[in-house]
Amino acid sequence: MTLEDIIKETKTYYCLECGKCSSICPISRHNPSYSPRLMLEKALNGFEGDLINDQELFSCLSCYNCLLRCPADVDYPLFMQKVRALASAQGKYGVPAHSGTLQSLMRLMSNPAIEQRRLEWLSDEYRISEKADILFFVGCAPYFESVLDFKTGALDIAKDSLKILNALGIEPMVLADEKCCGHDLLWTGDVKTFRKLAEHNARIIKESGAKKIIFSCPEGYRTFKFDYPHYVDLDCELQHITEFLAENMGKGKLNFKEAKKKVTYQDPCRLGRHLGVYEQPRKLIEAIPGIELTEMEHIRDESICCGTSAWTNCDAYSKQIRTERLLEAKATGAEMLITACPKCQIHFKCAMVSKGEERGPDVEMDVMDIVNLVASALGDNGSE
Amino acid sequence: MAVNNSVLIIGGGIAGIQSAIDLANMGFQVCLVEKSPSIGGRMAQLDKTFPTNDCAMCILAPKMIEAGRHANIKLLTYSEVLAVDGEVGNFKVSIKKKARSVDEKKCTGCGVCVEKCPWKVNNEFDLNLGQRKAIYFAFPQTVPKLPVIDREHCAYFLKGKCRACEKFCEAGAIKYDQEDEIIEVEAKAIIVAAGFDLYDPTPLREYGYGRIQNVITAMEYERLSSASGPTAGELKRPSDGKIASDIAFIQCVGSRDVRSNRYCSSVCCMYGTKEAILAYEHQPGTKSTIFYIDLRAVGKRFQEYIQRAKDEYNVTYIRSRPGNIELNHHTQNPIIWYEDTTTGETKSLEVELVILCQALIPPRDIQEMASILSIELDEYGFVKTPDGLSHPVDTTRVGILACGCVHSPKDIPDSVVQASAAAARAAEILSGGT
Repeated sequence: MTLEDIIKETKTYYCLECGKCSSICPISRHNPSYSPRLMLEKALNGFEGDLINDQELFSCLSCYNCLLRCPADVDYPLFMQKVRALASAQGKYGVPAHSGTLQSLMRLMSNPAIEQRRLEWLSDEYRISEKADILFFVGCAPYFESVLDFKTGALDIAKDSLKILNALGIEPMVLADEKCCGHDLLWTGDVKTFRKLAEHNARIIKESGAKKIIFSCPEGYRTFKFDYPHYVDLDCELQHITEFLAENMGKGKLNFKEAKKKVTYQDPCRLGRHLGVYEQPRKLIEAIPGIELTEMEHIRDESICCGTSAWTNCDAYSKQIRTERLLEAKATGAEMLITACPKCQIHFKCAMVSKGEERGPDVEMDVMDIVNLVASALGDNGSE
Repeated sequence: MAVNNSVLIIGGGIAGIQSAIDLANMGFQVCLVEKSPSIGGRMAQLDKTFPTNDCAMCILAPKMIEAGRHANIKLLTYSEVLAVDGEVGNFKVSIKKKARSVDEKKCTGCGVCVEKCPWKVNNEFDLNLGQRKAIYFAFPQTVPKLPVIDREHCAYFLKGKCRACEKFCEAGAIKYDQEDEIIEVEAKAIIVAAGFDLYDPTPLREYGYGRIQNVITAMEYERLSSASGPTAGELKRPSDGKIASDIAFIQCVGSRDVRSNRYCSSVCCMYGTKEAILAYEHQPGTKSTIFYIDLRAVGKRFQEYIQRAKDEYNVTYIRSRPGNIELNHHTQNPIIWYEDTTTGETKSLEVELVILCQALIPPRDIQEMASILSIELDEYGFVKTPDGLSHPVDTTRVGILACGCVHSPKDIPDSVVQASAAAARAAEILSGGT
């Protein structure tokens, strides 16, 4: 794909150069050298080299704020995704976080010769099926738990998702040879590896005979829903676990015990702006007796991103974004911040881990995934 | 009652009035139908006009009066077209003349009824920023000089009690039992001059309209700056009544946006500039910032007007479409986030009042009107005039013409020119031409 193709596909030609994208971009507000409008202008003026060599090319969070507000309907996030592919084909990458360990893991997974022990964590406590209509796509959260140097809570998301599904009487399939969905590689331009991962996942899911896939990770969900169709053929119903639970909890199978807590909710970019799931997580939180949901100033499609995407270009600006968001969460008076994406949780927790001498404002607060909240409130019918 | 008028004009704004006067002066009979209680239209709501800062009412009122008392013009205010049959040269039109609850023949327009009426309701003419009575004149210079009872808010109609207006009316003109009338009119040609409505910026939540008190629309601003408006011309901001001296205007709110209206509303760059100039004239020293994408100053003396705004009225223009407006909770000031596209910097500007230069949209009842008239609309809902070059005011139905903002957004001089064009075209039809 050439830059001209990308301009056509993303409707960049319609750009009014009005700057609304930059005005609403969480990165531009902190980082003076990043302007989505200027990125588009570079492309429109034919400065391909400048564009590809721009270190800020990998700063975009693909948070969709600009896409939702653009008066010309230019698909800037897709433009970024595609231009990064051009850049990576020329050996240009962003700055990987965590020394690139996570990117290495993703690439390793694309090698069929390397065997994973992906379900090591799965104990007898959880009931799964060999054959079922419903497949739970675990995602990479368990890996995050072992790679990062602080307690992420990511593994508990996988465990608690199964616990809740079991409580509903559902024993889903989980696939031992499931691989990374490829989200982060796609968004950093490594389309080749992304395709390998997508093909693998599509093949084993087809073989499993699954009719419906449930995700606890919005990135996997988004990738399967919007990106896979361009690369592989997979015909399954897809749902985020909050959608599935909101739909099924009324069927009398989920009993909650009282949990006295004041919480606030972070709409993950992918679950919210990308996929439009705003109501179900709230419905779920409010179904737990004793839980009081107090909203932050910026919610739903105006929610603020957790500050990094695809483990790339995570910098001081990312930390500023997180810090501001956490302060907003704390201002609600809530004791706990609930998210629905493992990465939001990791990023917020990371912002609380003080590194070096600089210690910024007090942003300490409990952060938990929505499935952890739901699982902890399960009454008698739960597996505890 | 049947009146035989030769041209029916729908809409009594500046365009409809101009067409009516032109045709009447040529010796043709005109029936001018207006759905609100007075002719005058949107121009009556405006304080001043660009690029001369002339008082809008001072230009409009003489035309309204001329239309109101011209021997060849029959005014039907508070009236709506119900049906149109026939064809060019022989249209048969049914018009509903709504009950004003006031006897037009007896009423002297003294206004004692309005004065004595004890019931106050929001005044739509002032965008609900002020109040009027349950019996009211649409605005002070209304033509015809007849009040109307708002039956939805009048205590007599609601509860059967009060009758204050009737008691004080010396002319005995109050008629609570007046009924709607259906009037049949014959016309050889019809001119549609139904004007426009204003885009409601509430759906553009990033700008906070309805959430942040000190974010208002341009039409609200017009009423605030008007001497006959709810604050007698003082620019009191909504949150605390403080006179705002540092204000900002945002252009293209609901215009040039695929999520609302793709078209340019054509007048906002200029009315925004006018409103900024007025702010300074009302309170010298006022600082105005206008956020724009492309400054469209294409009329005669428009560019000079903008230059004057910069040089003499403390107006700064910034090329940017702001991304969102936040609220300073302590001062109630709006904070505008924008990228200065000339420098590439993203920054914020805190001001005391933000004015959203809202788009002009087709009248909200345009679909219904189009189906009554059997005319087509364009993709935005304005009246379609397929032959824009040779017959620029002809709609898709022979004998029905369009002018003013119902055709497309335009300023007052352009509306007047087009209104005269429609009058000339109607005269051509009436004289046997096609």
